[in-house]
Amino acid sequence: MLKKSKLLSAAIFSAATLLAANGQADTMGTPKISAMSIVNGLENPWDMAFTKNGDMFFTEKCKGFSVKTKSGKINKLYGMKGTSGYNSAGDDLFCEGQAGMLGIAVDPNFKKNRRIYVASASTKHHGSGCKDNFDVCNGNIIMRFEVSKDMKSVSNRTDIVNDIQYKPFESDHPFGGPGAHNGNRLRFGPEGYLWATTGDRHKGDIPQHPTLLGGNVLRIDTDGKAHPGNKPPKGFDKRMYTYGHRNVQGIDFRPSDGRAFTAEHGPWHNDEITALVNGGNAGWDPKPNVAGRGNCPDKYCGYMPNQKEGMLPAARAEAGTPMSDERFKDLMPPAWNNNGLSQGTGSAAFLKGSQWGYWEGRLAVGIMGIAFGGTPSGMRIDVIDITKDGKAIKSVIQMPTGLTKRFRGLRLGPDGALYATVDEGEIYKITARK
Amino acid sequence: MRNFVNLFTFALFLVLSNVAVSGDVGEGEKRYAVNCGNCHGPGGMGLASYPKISGKEVSYLIDRLNTYRSGKKIGPNSDLMIMMAKPLTDVEIDNLAAYLATDPAAKR
Ligand code: HEC
Repeated sequence: MLKKSKLLSAAIFSAATLLAANGQADTMGTPKISAMSIVNGLENPWDMAFTKNGDMFFTEKCKGFSVKTKSGKINKLYGMKGTSGYNSAGDDLFCEGQAGMLGIAVDPNFKKNRRIYVASASTKHHGSGCKDNFDVCNGNIIMRFEVSKDMKSVSNRTDIVNDIQYKPFESDHPFGGPGAHNGNRLRFGPEGYLWATTGDRHKGDIPQHPTLLGGNVLRIDTDGKAHPGNKPPKGFDKRMYTYGHRNVQGIDFRPSDGRAFTAEHGPWHNDEITALVNGGNAGWDPKPNVAGRGNCPDKYCGYMPNQKEGMLPAARAEAGTPMSDERFKDLMPPAWNNNGLSQGTGSAAFLKGSQWGYWEGRLAVGIMGIAFGGTPSGMRIDVIDITKDGKAIKSVIQMPTGLTKRFRGLRLGPDGALYATVDEGEIYKITARK
Repeated sequence: MRNFVNLFTFALFLVLSNVAVSGDVGEGEKRYAVNCGNCHGPGGMGLASYPKISGKEVSYLIDRLNTYRSGKKIGPNSDLMIMMAKPLTDVEIDNLAAYLATDPAAKR
């Protein structure tokens, strides 16, 4: 008898913890979440892209891209310099620091044109540039490929953008190695144009620079030409939809109105979610000798002041270079700033489908965790309810995935599940049930 | 005979000093869990810009941690690691090195 009641209470207890782990089944329609690893043993998987059939292309930062077909088979399609086992390879593609093969996207007309798009660091278009960190350095590119019918090979590589800026050498900064801040997430927008994010590559004048690509969100066609409706300021490169960013690695489009939202890494403070405005300025300007600042190491003020020490994020934001400088009249204010912390907020995907319950239409945000100078690491996925005007949030809920991982890439699959690449070398499928 | 005694004392010294400097794996694991894993990943497997530190030799690990603690740079991202090493005590460094040398990432 005693035994029985013990068992019973154990059962009740585990049922209760199960419910808790699933974020409480309540009357509000909170979805029950479960996460399953679907690919493992990868090396720095970065991004994924799906065909409508459910084939999943994915990149590994220092290796190349592959496809996991609907039947579950993995075909290694196109490798980088020094890799083996890929059907073909590009000897100009390399990885270094944060740079490598990053974003991937499938053409909305894939069924007809078999096209996919991949962003990577490359030596092919350096020309006479890249001599030092202050030189123009065309080292990040976007390639277009055609995928064979049997999904085993790619052909017709065309470099549709070859002048996204790259950091070739080490500098005197935290994370100061070459290859810093590349952006490089690729997503198709609702009107069928390709959106590409770029980073400031630790070069002080890049984010507010009219013609060098870096610290922007680009909106281009599938040949790499500007969308005719882009409205950057006069004299700016027409491919720019927005400028003045630091390092955007998350972008998706709100299902209700098609508006683009970005997730961006902050500099020891203030990761940001921002509703984009055509031609808008995200307000990042790490140049020396402006806004009351003096000189900075290697002409980049991105980590000032006191860049080698831990410091309260709020104090640093106050004294240093703001993520969203209100000096700029065309500033796009962030909807959310991660409570003033920088934790590696680098991917975003809107949740679609009624299985997500009242989270449907909210933004899932992948946070890797950094744990710098007393900041809590915070490896997680947050679900954010953003106001209609995109200038604020209504709530943030941590998704109860049961996982503590470095969430690198998020993408909603054609099946309505949320897919996540993690630095630990896996791809997860996260499903919701009402 | 005298030589033998000398040798014996020396061996004894070696054994004792070894006991004194070799760290406690369990304590190292605990200290690792406090914040090292946030960057270096489970068991020190290495993640993104954060190097693999699992399965390295004790002397190598101690040397690296001492170098960072003294504020000296090694690679381009040393600033991050210097900050983490500054508060470590000698005992903590020994324990961490002992733990990481057991190659905990391989056992996962
Ligand atoms: C904020 C992220 C971060 C945290 C937390 C962190 N490290 Fe590191 N660690 C790094 C980085 C980055 C490097 C490489 C630095 C460089 O470029 O010199 C490194 C390097 C090392 C190395 C040298 C690796 C090699 O082979 O050169 C060791 C050993 C190490 N860390 C141990 C630790 C231990 C033990 C802890 C916990 C007390 C810790 N780290 C916490 C980021 C971190």
